[in-house]
Amino acid sequence: MRPIPSFSLHRPKTLSEALELLQALEDARPIAGGTDLLVLLRDGAVSAKHLIDLGGVHELQYIREENDEIRIGAATTHAQLLRSELIAEKTPLLHEAAASIGSVQIRNRGTLGGNLCNASPAADTAPPLLALNAEAAVASTGGTRIIPLGDLFAGPKMNSLRPGELLTEIRFPTPPAGSGTSFQKLGRRRGLTLAVINVAVYLCLEGGVCREARIALGAVAATPIRMPAAEEMLEGRQLSGELIEAAASACRDQVRPIDDIRASAEYRREMAYVLTRRALMDAWERARRDTL
Amino acid sequence: MRITFELNGKRVECEARPNKTLLDLLRADLGLTSVKKGCEQGECGACTVLLDGAPVNSCLVLAPQVEGRAVTTLDGLVDDPLMAALRKAFMEDGAIQCGFCIPGMLLSAYALLRENPRPTEEEVKTAIEGNICRCTGYIKIIEAIMDAAERIQNERP
Ligand SMILES: Cc1cc2nc3c(=O)[nH]c(=O)nc-3n(C[C@H](O)[C@H](O)[C@H](O)COP(=O)(O)OP(=O)(O)OC[C@H]3O[C@@H](n4cnc5c(N)ncnc54)[C@H](O)[C@@H]3O)c2cc1C
Ligand code: FES
Ligand code: FES
Repeated sequence: MRPIPSFSLHRPKTLSEALELLQALEDARPIAGGTDLLVLLRDGAVSAKHLIDLGGVHELQYIREENDEIRIGAATTHAQLLRSELIAEKTPLLHEAAASIGSVQIRNRGTLGGNLCNASPAADTAPPLLALNAEAAVASTGGTRIIPLGDLFAGPKMNSLRPGELLTEIRFPTPPAGSGTSFQKLGRRRGLTLAVINVAVYLCLEGGVCREARIALGAVAATPIRMPAAEEMLEGRQLSGELIEAAASACRDQVRPIDDIRASAEYRREMAYVLTRRALMDAWERARRDTL
Repeated sequence: MRITFELNGKRVECEARPNKTLLDLLRADLGLTSVKKGCEQGECGACTVLLDGAPVNSCLVLAPQVEGRAVTTLDGLVDDPLMAALRKAFMEDGAIQCGFCIPGMLLSAYALLRENPRPTEEEVKTAIEGNICRCTGYIKIIEAIMDAAERIQNERP
């Protein structure tokens, strides 16, 4: 194996220190768990003169609920997400996504912020957070801006952060009573594998009528994406198996997958239908249980 | 960079370039060859060590990142009763063939049983998802971990 090319490593203790380093140093990059970045550095796919390690910035590791909003620090690990009762109870789709990532070893190091900023179209936490209508807090020495999570993704393996910016927090409204969610992932095997495709669904019912539907898919386009056409078919309507079938079909028409080593575009298109239908049925069932 | 950390219960101070992995520090510089070098991509788990008690791939940790933290390899658990039970079960149940994956496998199993003394078979499978074995087919490894859990449980009053 080729060695990792050299760089200098900075280990700030606070967010403001990290932002100043990122601002001041030329060709600097954050490193969180390193589970994506170290592989890319070794392959030569990415290079950097300076790495700013977020591992010591403890203020970026938290999961809390405030005013019906759940907030998660960017450096929170997948293992921490998995251990959170709040996440398991209020947003099972995010719990399920975190559980599906890599292995115990990867989940102990890999972070939510790293998963999103790495901007893989197959990132497992992206569809759940898109379905939860999450926003991202992005900080620099100049201040903090809040963007819809979808705007963080610029293209395959490209995020929209400007030089000197860090993702600091992900936040979304706590799903209300009467809502149901689901995460579905199809890999080439059960464990330790990136998704061939992944799907997340959020439904909110009011007396059998679907008040809100949000569907997000990964690995079917250049970035993880929402499916507005399918969502509109469900909103304001009495849910039924046929309606769900039709909405899942609409996703098959909306996705723009590619052929790669994990699967063909054609297979992904078909699976977009299968997994979306499965996720919708599951979320519907959970929402009905939640209403009882 | 100068780094100070706890290795197998002892304070270690050493010099490491920023781009040196914890794997290379432990295996090449400090001579702990129980930490195996496989894929160097986080896929195989042969390089697994415990960082503050939690399994991580040492090929995906930079040496300076363990500053002030506790690293445990198999060598540090020689006299640990739980590890002794695991070792015995692995040997007696035929869970070892070439042995390359075993140090990592034992550490993953150890971390599991520390947190969850009576795991289900599913939980054992999840715990070793990140440890690839090219020889055994996993069945005997899973049996040995379940067996070790039972032995430890039976020894307790
Ligand atoms: C064996 C293996 C299996 C894997 N399996 C899966 C899987 O099943 N599903 C999945 O989705 N992923 C998987 N991954 C990918 C990876 O583990 C995850 O994407 C992980 O969440 C990345 O987080 P990290 O903290 O390690 O990121 P890092 O590698 O530290 O960083 C990734 C990128 O994000 C940037 N970055 C990190 N944090 C911030 C921040 N706060 N602000 C701005 N930029 C930031 C870094 O500069 C870098 O470009 C796997 C990886 C490996 C090696
Ligand atoms: S050598 Fe580290 S996981 Fe394979
Ligand atoms: S015993 Fe040979 S790799 Fe597991």
